[in-house]
Amino acid sequence: MQAALAVMAAHTVLAAIAAAPVPHQSLFFPNFSSPSSPSAQFHSSFHGVALKANVRPFLSLSAAPKPLTVVAATKKAVAVLKGTSTVEGVVTLTQDADGPTTVNVRVTGLTPGKHGFHLHEFGDTTNGCISTGPHFNPNGLTHGSPEDEVRHAGDLGNIVANAEGVAEATIVDSQIPLTGPNSVVGRAFVVHELEDDLGKGGHELSLSTGNAGGRLACGVVGLTPP
Amino acid sequence: MAFLRVSENPSFGSLGLSSDPIRGPEKSGLVKAFANPSPAFVEMDPKQPTQNGAVLPELLTEYMVDMKCEGCVNSVRNKLQTVDGVKKVDLDLTNQVVRVLGTSPVKILTEALEQTGRKARLIGQGLPDDFLLSAAVAEFKGPSIFGVVRLAQVSMELARIEANFSGLPPGKHGWSINEFGDLTKGAASTGKLFNPSKDEKEPLGDLGTLDADEKGDAFYSGAKEKLRVADLIGRSIAVYGTEDKSDEGIAAAVIARSAGVGENYKKLCTCDGTTIWEATNADFVTSKV
Repeated sequence: MQAALAVMAAHTVLAAIAAAPVPHQSLFFPNFSSPSSPSAQFHSSFHGVALKANVRPFLSLSAAPKPLTVVAATKKAVAVLKGTSTVEGVVTLTQDADGPTTVNVRVTGLTPGKHGFHLHEFGDTTNGCISTGPHFNPNGLTHGSPEDEVRHAGDLGNIVANAEGVAEATIVDSQIPLTGPNSVVGRAFVVHELEDDLGKGGHELSLSTGNAGGRLACGVVGLTPP
Repeated sequence: MAFLRVSENPSFGSLGLSSDPIRGPEKSGLVKAFANPSPAFVEMDPKQPTQNGAVLPELLTEYMVDMKCEGCVNSVRNKLQTVDGVKKVDLDLTNQVVRVLGTSPVKILTEALEQTGRKARLIGQGLPDDFLLSAAVAEFKGPSIFGVVRLAQVSMELARIEANFSGLPPGKHGWSINEFGDLTKGAASTGKLFNPSKDEKEPLGDLGTLDADEKGDAFYSGAKEKLRVADLIGRSIAVYGTEDKSDEGIAAAVIARSAGVGENYKKLCTCDGTTIWEATNADFVTSKV
């Protein structure tokens, strides 16, 4: 039960209507990276991370920002998504200390509506989607929604394109760190043609891929200046 | 003369922070058989990075090959055994997988496989068991410059590099590993040459010069000392307009994780039903390396 709560709390789609990439993630988690307040409590328990992550933003929104201490422990990465069609986009990832990772997505050229959005195990696209391997799944679970306890780490649900074909989203998730053994750096984001049924569609592919159809664009997660 | 031993240094495991812990259970006895009884030895002068034409360090390269019968298996085996530098060939008809241990460049192996009249796709590279993370790939996706660069760890501090480019302006082009994998402004946002030791004269990320022929193709195979593939994941490879690497590059690609040996036997993309044989034709670039 606690685990279920944690996972639900960990993944929060904040908004799909935000303008352009949000430049300062520190707004949400300004205190995480302060070297003077060791983040040991975040190391101790995975569940602890997620629950605290949910609480923090509300407390810290009213707290004074600490601009000087953010740099050292904030990790950043970016993926530029390209495809064979007109679909393209930029995904930026930011993680403060060992907190959750904030993913800002902006993809253009889509058909209006929902599109599956996943992180695959490998960043290799030399044989198309096949060489990217399956959804990033370090825990060996079945496909699900980002809020599910049973999900692939790479299951980030759907992004929603508006009437102009632009999808913008901010996803906060605890299963896609930027360092350590499960680091997502060097792996690939893929935007799909169809809606991800989040494992609940009853199709034979629901529990592996969410039956999200062909891929429209993909991009490797690369390091950016801190 | 120095002897670099594959399995001697116990500290590598602790250095591979960004490595992938997943080792599929399908890592078969066949793979292990290559690791025993003796580790692969790489004998070379560490001051002389292998240049084009010189002997490459030994590596296990895994292909998926369109084989349907024992006869095909034999013809593939016979063909590969004639290739210079091939030490051991291992075929698995059930999975349509071929593993080749040896020093031959990937380009030569791929061409040999295609000469048997069968489709072949490189699906993994590495040395069995010795390294947590051993293979990476950077793919240049055009619109004008296409290419694939493969990096594989062959010993503690030696990496094999193979590259194949098309669409380059003919002539000489500097190329390098740059510190960031940020392509938001193309090569301009990839930062400086990767230089962990802060060596002003010879940054580790300096890969020298590529020679593009009159058609704009360039090919490179070699090895580089002190390079750890695990440290390069998420950085980039940049190609420059001239030999001068102080200008902005003309193209760049992120160094991505790719599958090691036995890690990715996917043959069908369940997402859209394409098979591995159809994949590259429909994709960005026909990848020869």
